[in-house]
Amino acid sequence: MTDMELWNHCENPYPFVPAEVLDAAEAARASLPNKYCEPEIAARLYDEVFEEYRLCDDIGLHIVTNEHHSGINNLWAASPVITGIVAQMTSKVRILSLGTLITVRPDPVRVATEYATIDVISRGRLDIGFVKSGATEMVSGDANPMRIREREWEAIDLIEKSLTSHDGPFSWEGKFFSHPHVNIWPRPYQSPRPDFWAATSDLPTCAELGRRGIVNTLLFGGYTRTKLAFDTYKQARAAIGLPKPKEDRFSYLAFCYVGDTDEEAFRIGQKIPWFLTVSIKSAPQMSKFQPGQLPPEMVPGAWRGGASKRPNNLNVENLVSQGLMFAGNPDTVVKQIKEFRRRVGGVGRIIMMTRQGLVTHAEAMKSFNLAAKEVLPRLQGLEPIDDEAVQRAAAE
Amino acid sequence: MTTLRAGRLELEVLRRGKGAPILVIHGVNPISSHAPFVDRLAEYGEVIAPSHPGFGASERPYDFDTMYDLVNLYLDVLDAIPAERVTVIGLSFGGWIAAELAVTGARKIDRLILADPVGIKIGGREERDIVHFFNTSPDELIRRSWADPSLRPDGVYALGWQATITDAMTDAEMVALARNWDSLCLYAWKPHMYNPQLAYWLRRIVVPTLVLWGDHDRIVTPSYGRAYADLIPGARFELIPNAGHHPDLEQPEAFVEQVVRFMGKDASR
Repeated sequence: MTDMELWNHCENPYPFVPAEVLDAAEAARASLPNKYCEPEIAARLYDEVFEEYRLCDDIGLHIVTNEHHSGINNLWAASPVITGIVAQMTSKVRILSLGTLITVRPDPVRVATEYATIDVISRGRLDIGFVKSGATEMVSGDANPMRIREREWEAIDLIEKSLTSHDGPFSWEGKFFSHPHVNIWPRPYQSPRPDFWAATSDLPTCAELGRRGIVNTLLFGGYTRTKLAFDTYKQARAAIGLPKPKEDRFSYLAFCYVGDTDEEAFRIGQKIPWFLTVSIKSAPQMSKFQPGQLPPEMVPGAWRGGASKRPNNLNVENLVSQGLMFAGNPDTVVKQIKEFRRRVGGVGRIIMMTRQGLVTHAEAMKSFNLAAKEVLPRLQGLEPIDDEAVQRAAAE
Repeated sequence: MTTLRAGRLELEVLRRGKGAPILVIHGVNPISSHAPFVDRLAEYGEVIAPSHPGFGASERPYDFDTMYDLVNLYLDVLDAIPAERVTVIGLSFGGWIAAELAVTGARKIDRLILADPVGIKIGGREERDIVHFFNTSPDELIRRSWADPSLRPDGVYALGWQATITDAMTDAEMVALARNWDSLCLYAWKPHMYNPQLAYWLRRIVVPTLVLWGDHDRIVTPSYGRAYADLIPGARFELIPNAGHHPDLEQPEAFVEQVVRFMGKDASR
């Protein structure tokens, strides 16, 4: 039996920069002057989202924080800072930092220290997530965009060793990081350490997550890419004789709005794809032409005419049909999530991106209440997914 | 593909002409066989232009990723050239490699020519000496690196090459450009295009040195070039009119004339 979980992922966007400014700018991230960020408005946004987190704590929606820098898409510029606040103001739900950008941060030991502190403050409610970072982040953080996959794994290894070593200083002299004296205080509350998650659809990385038992999160993977990633995870475990993973090892992040009616959910949900239509605008040197973005043999597809245009036809119907959004009244959303779970061969943790784009505080609170009270209870005690039936259906 | 064995590595190499060797150390992309300066220069010696590891068809070992590796590799390249004396020309990023190479005191270097090299820090901490190769729009890179972008020879890719990509290019050309760009980034993202220690040690260069600069270079300006030349004992500084960051490509005749005259040869032939 699977008891699914719902998580609230809000990036705390700042959708108040005039359209003419964004149209004239080369990017909505990394290089947009911060004179367009009004501190009083930002303070109100922080208050509102923290109030949404308090509600989540009361009604049983787990909380995800993340970080991006220097742009309208995200005011969580330092995930450990925000996660520390959330740890103190909540008491029941789990908190996932997904995550601080370890490919940009120079010292993984410092990251481990921050997370151990949060784990203690929350009395063991922290999960730690890892992301490779996007191209604009390499610019904002002045981090070499080459070899971030290898750098990420070495950072994860060093963070893990920092969190699980308790007998005095150890030394680390790796390819990317050196630290001759590692001895973090406090040690984490959870033993041996907080659970690890990683957001990726890169198949070799998914395989490695499988071998390590790290939760694999797909961001907007849709049916096909998500299933491929999860299958890769399972196959990598099977290949070395590890047991089949439970569904809690799989997570999926999608846009989500739950309304009283389908009509209401679709109408409000249409404000969410702002994330893809506006906030993602990025200069070519910070996207397709940044070194390391793609293996060289894959660049012709990305560089030829017509590639990588900004999406602008993302209506809710399209997004729902592709499995990129869950939207509707509670019945509809339950059906969509169950169908998604079936088609990807099982997923235990749905991360809802609801307070996004132009969605208001009141609208977000309403959706969270409905999700917790009307959707979540119907995602409990679910029968296992019949993997073979799914494979047969896919083949047909 | 012609190759050159340098130490443990097999490098792709462009060779043209006969006579005393002229080693050309390339910048953002390997020296193109279409570049007009190559044939002209080859009238005065053998042009030898290897592709750095990770560029063109040259392999790059996994841990080979710093300027330290490139400098030692080019010491291997000098060893692999049978002649006793070698003229060394470094262009842009390759000028940085050539300057580092000369600082080592490599005895084989006969003369050193640096064309619009990067590699040192001159200005204050809030002054950018070198326009960011990787974080500047391709159109802006082209504006800054050519006196007249229409003079770009066909089939030659220099800074801002991304803005000149067309669907008519082959996949192989695109893959090669991506591979070069990735490798350059690996070597030079941070500090961006310079070694903080190099300016101090340029005084160790003892070979006759010519610093050439495109008078319209707005990637690294002529004033940076003059400061660069001032740090190298006895170096001569010459501007090439109507050229930007790539005088070898934009004014090949003037470029070769300056090089040849400095080599002590008759440039009128």
